[in-house]
Amino acid sequence: MARSVWKGPFVDGYLLKKAERARGSGRNEVIKMWSRRSTILPQFVGLTFGVHNGHKFIPVLVTENMVGHKFGEFAPTRAFHGHSGDKKAVKAKE
Amino acid sequence: MPRPDKVCLGTIVGVHGVQGAVRIKSFTADPADVAAYGAVSDESGGRRFEVKVLGQARGTVLARLSGVADRNAAEALRGLRLYVPRAALPEANEDEFYHADLIGLPVETKEGAPLGSVRAVLNFGAGDILELRDENGRELLLPFSDAAVPEVDLARGRIVASPPEGLLEQRVPAAAEAGGGAARRRRRKRRAAGGGAGAGGGGTDRGGAGL
Repeated sequence: MARSVWKGPFVDGYLLKKAERARGSGRNEVIKMWSRRSTILPQFVGLTFGVHNGHKFIPVLVTENMVGHKFGEFAPTRAFHGHSGDKKAVKAKE
Repeated sequence: MPRPDKVCLGTIVGVHGVQGAVRIKSFTADPADVAAYGAVSDESGGRRFEVKVLGQARGTVLARLSGVADRNAAEALRGLRLYVPRAALPEANEDEFYHADLIGLPVETKEGAPLGSVRAVLNFGAGDILELRDENGRELLLPFSDAAVPEVDLARGRIVASPPEGLLEQRVPAAAEAGGGAARRRRRKRRAAGGGAGAGGGGTDRGGAGL
């Protein structure tokens, strides 16, 4: 069942503060975080978070399409290594 | 490091029917592209096959290989990896790189300090990530972005990285990784050894928490 709209999206308080501090400093840094349950807000776009997956921090560069999703969706907790085949990696623009 | 001369597109995992069709687990971005780059060969290049895709089933590609006319011949190929020459893949666009070209390349900082070499290229939905491993076995995940990876020089076989602040401190030692796996194996073994007791214990624990 969907979350009630009147509550607004859930974000851990400490994460908001960290993100504000990172944006204010203007430095290119990875924001370490454990709050996989937090919703990605529009003010996080352009920041890079290190989302903990229980073992290591997965770098997540937030883009507009990710707003509304949870951080945990982008840092899987189970290891899977596929084969390269003809797959291509695309450099992200910041 | 020289670029790979062959790329593995898939492996034969089973057979289908009695007319020699095989099931191929495809490693290509679009599974049906296993037949898109011309004839495939085995690892040594000794045997070559033309691939005709018949369809897809259960996560595999159904295909017919030239010279394989019955089920027994197809069964004999189970486990065979299918390769094409690297040159058969079309040129990538600007800012696009084949995983096969990136894997194995050494990575260094702008100052020339080595960070390790690329082990894998990951994508969990938030852009591509380079997984690096240094000579001490430490692992580093580097976002594949303009800021973090300003230069990829395939001709000279190197990648120049500018890791964001705090990323180098997040390197995970291989020992920790092995420890995690070992702990998991121990837990699994313990569960298997005392299966009934373990399950009962778990149930009691849960009951306790509920109370």
